Amino acid sequence: MTTTASARERAATTAPARKRAGARWREARPGLLLVLPAFALFVLFRFGPAIAGGVLSFTDYTIGGETEWTGLANFDRLVHDDRFWDALRVTVIYSVLAVPGSIIVALGMAMLVRRTFRGVRLFRSIFFLPVVTSLVLAGVIFSWIFSEDGPWSSLLRAVGFEGGSWLADSVLVLPALVVVSIWTRFGYGMLIILARLQDIPRELEEAAHVDGAGSWQTFRHIILPQLKPALFFLGVLETTVAFQAFDTIWVMTGGGPARASRTLVIELYEQGFRNFDQDYAATIGVALFVMTLVVALIQRLIMGRDK
Amino acid sequence: MKRAVRATLLFLAAVVTLFPFYAMLVLSFKPIGPVSLPGSLLPSGLSLEAYDQVLGTASLARWLVNTAVYAIISVIGVLALSMLAGYAFAKKRFPGKETMFWSFVAMLMVPYHVTLIPLFILIADWGGVDTYWGLIIPTLANAQAVFLMRQFISTLPDELFEAARLDGCGELRILWSLVLPLTKPIMATLGVFVFLWHWNDYLWPLVIGQSEEMRTLTVGIASLQAERVPLNVVMAGSVVAFVPIFMAYLIGQRYFVEGVTTTGMKG
Repeated sequence: MTTTASARERAATTAPARKRAGARWREARPGLLLVLPAFALFVLFRFGPAIAGGVLSFTDYTIGGETEWTGLANFDRLVHDDRFWDALRVTVIYSVLAVPGSIIVALGMAMLVRRTFRGVRLFRSIFFLPVVTSLVLAGVIFSWIFSEDGPWSSLLRAVGFEGGSWLADSVLVLPALVVVSIWTRFGYGMLIILARLQDIPRELEEAAHVDGAGSWQTFRHIILPQLKPALFFLGVLETTVAFQAFDTIWVMTGGGPARASRTLVIELYEQGFRNFDQDYAATIGVALFVMTLVVALIQRLIMGRDK
Repeated sequence: MKRAVRATLLFLAAVVTLFPFYAMLVLSFKPIGPVSLPGSLLPSGLSLEAYDQVLGTASLARWLVNTAVYAIISVIGVLALSMLAGYAFAKKRFPGKETMFWSFVAMLMVPYHVTLIPLFILIADWGGVDTYWGLIIPTLANAQAVFLMRQFISTLPDELFEAARLDGCGELRILWSLVLPLTKPIMATLGVFVFLWHWNDYLWPLVIGQSEEMRTLTVGIASLQAERVPLNVVMAGSVVAFVPIFMAYLIGQRYFVEGVTTTGMKG
């Protein structure tokens, strides 16, 4: 491609300007035509709506009605809205528990299945199975597991703990949802960590053993530092996933009891599709976007300092 | 000793991971009625009653068709569009290329939910609520697929395309007999992931499919659960929704694993 391109350019410089423009168009046309379908859809259904979401948050919009500019009114309402702050608090608590939870479990499982032994592939497949399962199914099954007569409550009663379903308890509902989140996510992290573990040279660990380091010391000082990029990647990704949690929680609790498990996306969904307050829902979307950016930035800063 | 500890931990972890699947399966094959522990978890006294009911009264067959349509058309659409765009971004020269490409990449940062409300308003305005096209077309704009396809095609040697052009191949011919066969590995990985994502998608089908006929399996099963249908029936529906994904996972496991590690690479 480079040879003809430069040949064409050479030819173009000697040719009249009109011909040159034509040649350039002829060269550009196939590329433009190939990109066009994907780009048109992208502008219409991703880029456009993202901009429109920002615009909508500065308006008062009703379906089929008139749209009015209201400036910062929606944001003013947002910062004085208890529902929003509750949803934010729930989202943060949920993320603070779910992100380290799933990464630690993923790390532990990766260490368990990193060496090859008979049946290792089967175990890896089993641990990845929840990742391919729909979150709605996970929600349906775990609703029963955590229900009043379900196995978890029965188990707790059998060992002497009183109380009903965790999903009906305004404090325990979040830990229950975090367990479901870990179950659905750890297999993914495990595979990412495994891929990285396989790149660590054997000699490093063997040298540590020769020097008399125990398993824990080897893990702490040899393996863990090597895993840092993978763990950082997982941290960013899992935070995004946790911040946007909707499916399992909507199916299991609908945000309840009261507002105890109402995350930001549930709040956005309820405002947009239950209360039909779509400009306000878009404002919550903008807030969600800003927080995702801030968290990504903080994580990047922490990572940069460690280097 | 150490091996015994490791084996025990592995076994316990496998049991905990598999228990929800086991519970779903066993409960779906029990006669419809109150669930009691531990009796309801033992594989005895099985019946097909729950399946009879969920296939007979609920619109499960229709939901299965909707989900298949949603997933399959989306996979074909996303693969085709991202192959064309990925090839152009990787091997073609045209004005605005960098701007366009980086606008795709930048959108990967924007949470899907930010676009949800405006997207719904747009589709509703065009009469797309409760239609297949309203469900499918917006999800064809998949920035990640374009990005991965472009990265993959960039690694193919330029000389290949040059040689084909010198042999007098037009662009269509190059796409059909060069790009298509060469991108098979990334197509398989991407295809598996797009399929999985659409099969399991919940929020978009939930807001777009408002009548019972237009529900997908995820929306339908969540609605069964909300309507307090007996547990055995909900579980039978869940099994029906799970089996196709499970089969796909068994057959294409290699691609699932590759998909995770390649999409993981982008960070």
